[in-house]
Amino acid sequence: MENSQDPGLKHPLPADESRLDLYTVPARSSWFSWGDIHEIEKFHLREFFDGSSITRTPKIYKEYRDFIISKFREDPSRRLTFSEVRKSLVGDVTLLHKVFAFLDSRGLINFGTPRGEGDGADQGSSQGRWKVTVEEGAPVGVRVVAVPNSLKPVTIPPGWCNGGGEVAENGVRLPPLASCRDVYSEQKRMVCRNCKDSCESGRYEYTKDRSFIICLKCYKDGNYGENKSTDDFKFLERIPDGENHESSWTEAETLLLLESVLRHGDNWDLVAEIVKTKSKADCISKLIQLPFGELMFGSTHRRGRLNENDGNMSSAEQGQLASVSQSQENIKMQDQGDGDKNENKENGDSENQSQEVPPLKRKHSTSPPDMGNSLMKKVAVITSMVDPHITASAAEAAVMALCEEYQCPREMFDGDDDEDKELGSSPQNNLALQTEGSGIEERPNELESQETSSPKNTMPLTFRVRAAAATAFGAAAAHAKLLADQEEREIEYLVATIVETQLKKLQRKVKHFDDLELIMKNEYTQLKDLKESIVSERMNALRKVFDAGISRRRDDAIVKSQMDGGL
Amino acid sequence: MFVKCNPKPRRKIQIQRIRRLNWSRRKSAIWKTMKNLSVPSASSRNPVKFRIPTAENLVPIRLDIEIDGQRFRDAFTWNPSDPDSEVVVFAKRTVKDLKLPPAFVTQIAQSIQSQLTEFRSFEGQDMTTGEKIVPIKLDLRVNHTLIKDQFLWDLNNFESDPEEFARTFCKDLGVDDPEVGPAVAVAIREQLYEIAMQSVASAKETRINKKGRRGAEHFPASASKVGGSALDLMKLFGNRASAIRKRREWDVYEPIVDLLSNEEVDALEAREEQRNARA
Repeated sequence: MENSQDPGLKHPLPADESRLDLYTVPARSSWFSWGDIHEIEKFHLREFFDGSSITRTPKIYKEYRDFIISKFREDPSRRLTFSEVRKSLVGDVTLLHKVFAFLDSRGLINFGTPRGEGDGADQGSSQGRWKVTVEEGAPVGVRVVAVPNSLKPVTIPPGWCNGGGEVAENGVRLPPLASCRDVYSEQKRMVCRNCKDSCESGRYEYTKDRSFIICLKCYKDGNYGENKSTDDFKFLERIPDGENHESSWTEAETLLLLESVLRHGDNWDLVAEIVKTKSKADCISKLIQLPFGELMFGSTHRRGRLNENDGNMSSAEQGQLASVSQSQENIKMQDQGDGDKNENKENGDSENQSQEVPPLKRKHSTSPPDMGNSLMKKVAVITSMVDPHITASAAEAAVMALCEEYQCPREMFDGDDDEDKELGSSPQNNLALQTEGSGIEERPNELESQETSSPKNTMPLTFRVRAAAATAFGAAAAHAKLLADQEEREIEYLVATIVETQLKKLQRKVKHFDDLELIMKNEYTQLKDLKESIVSERMNALRKVFDAGISRRRDDAIVKSQMDGGL
Repeated sequence: MFVKCNPKPRRKIQIQRIRRLNWSRRKSAIWKTMKNLSVPSASSRNPVKFRIPTAENLVPIRLDIEIDGQRFRDAFTWNPSDPDSEVVVFAKRTVKDLKLPPAFVTQIAQSIQSQLTEFRSFEGQDMTTGEKIVPIKLDLRVNHTLIKDQFLWDLNNFESDPEEFARTFCKDLGVDDPEVGPAVAVAIREQLYEIAMQSVASAKETRINKKGRRGAEHFPASASKVGGSALDLMKLFGNRASAIRKRREWDVYEPIVDLLSNEEVDALEAREEQRNARA
């Protein structure tokens, strides 16, 4: 803290407290004082102190400094800008700026004021602190294009990236004087310099000037352009665009894709072959874009490795995916199943159990190996492994969530419920149908059951998909819970073992110390005995000496010698 | 200061006297050098190779080309150590970016090249550099911003940086237009360039004078011509003056930034063209 004082005052401490203005200065700048110039200042602004010119003397420096600081302190809340002070000071502006920057960095000015884009506080300029500039049209230098950018991704033209060795170290290095256009422009169509044809498949690029390209034809004909010869050209293939013209996937193609992925998961070449009209990359990208496409990836990878739990899971998802591409009938079947479940839940928990367990058992017993395409079957199998409560609540929650979004499916479900209640006499019938109906091949039974179902089953595909997806999620959630429980048990077990080991360790230590103590005691007793024996020996020796009647003065020496001799 | 110390005590008094003498001599020596430095004389200026007296030796280039009714005006800085092949590349790039007719390419390249050559012709020669504080005036219009300013610049300060000054200027005064900064920097550089050219001319003159043995009377004349306000240094920085400017002069040295409306811009442009047409 430093006091600013009235220059006229002689006494440093005025009696009147109110005349004291306190300004905060950071602790690292506490060396500052009005009266003289500190070493730090002399070090940093040595131009003033080396006597190199009459424009730079300590006196002048002090004037600059005092003026700037006083100016700041006139209003310590606002940020003092350099331009405010430089008009009032005579001298080279670069040097003034240096002084200003020094004071600023030390916190002697602009301490505690907001930094950042402070608007100009210059009184001579704009009106008010906030300047509103009205720009008419695009700013200078920005090209306004009539057609917004097409779907083509904005990429750096391949010519830049495939450069010579210099690029290798630091990514893309642009030549000096690179224009924004080069970096940000779309990929240009390659136009041959000579014949002005577009270079389709590949082009020859002149190595010395990247922008000079000729098409294959010209290269063959030898029209290279002036001063260029054969070996100056480098062949570059046309890199296909990121987006294909055939970016629309028909249902048939999607179906093919999914099936082939199921069958040959990792072998993308084969998949691409099967789906003839799409390339490998397209297949993969399409798969990712599909809902649960990534799960497909995971499932195909994990298929060979993990236990049947995951296998079941993946197959459930496959079932789900298969249902996407299959006809409505299958999905209708699922809906019925969903409706079934719903009905079950609505009947209450206990009934749930009773109602579900028998059907589950039935399903389980009749078709364990048959992993057909029925989603419900998958879910059922999973529930057999997991607490039925969980599956029920999970599926219910999922369906509820969906129903909240769309009224139609809810109605559909409810409608189905009604239907099923009517058909309630044969819930088993339905289930039997389901167990038998396992795929597109088996139609007749399903058709039968479907004819009885309400005409409301014309729900849009997406809703069903979502419903099915939700159920799959539910199943997945159930499985996850199972795993979590297992983990928790493991953790408990491990913690218990750790605790036990620690205890054992402690016990051993304690035992060890006990042994040591015992040893110590023994040694102690031994030492005591030794001491006693020594004492008794000395006494004997002394007694002998006294008996012998030796004079007093040479007692010690003789006694010592006798004792030494004796011992 | 090390004075040879005799172990014999008899010489003590003599040594003390010697010490005192030495110190006074040193003091007078210091005073003399101070006096020498305080007055910038022609003899203390050692000639230095020509260059723009800023931290980076960048040349200001100004282009004003008119072809078929289309006018292209630009001002920027160029690094003279760049190879000349870059000039053509730059010209082509500019034409392409701004979609000018290709006839501009050669004109632009030629203009840049000639200015560079002019710069280089000065390069080999010496220029005198002494303590020179010159007033720099800014009076330019960039798009919608009008700038008027005046300040002092030390030509001998080879660490000066017009770009940094322009940056601070724009930041402090809240200038939004990003083209203003570079324009200010170029304007400063141009003025410095001119003064540097003048100093080269003066160095030549002094050399000629020396050769012709015209005598010393030309020295102060040339110095005063080139120095500009150099001789004012004594007045400004001497013992009696203050480094703080008088209040009434504050307005003169205050930067003024004006935002113009479209009509004003058009009016100014029309006036400039008239002036150019006349000149």
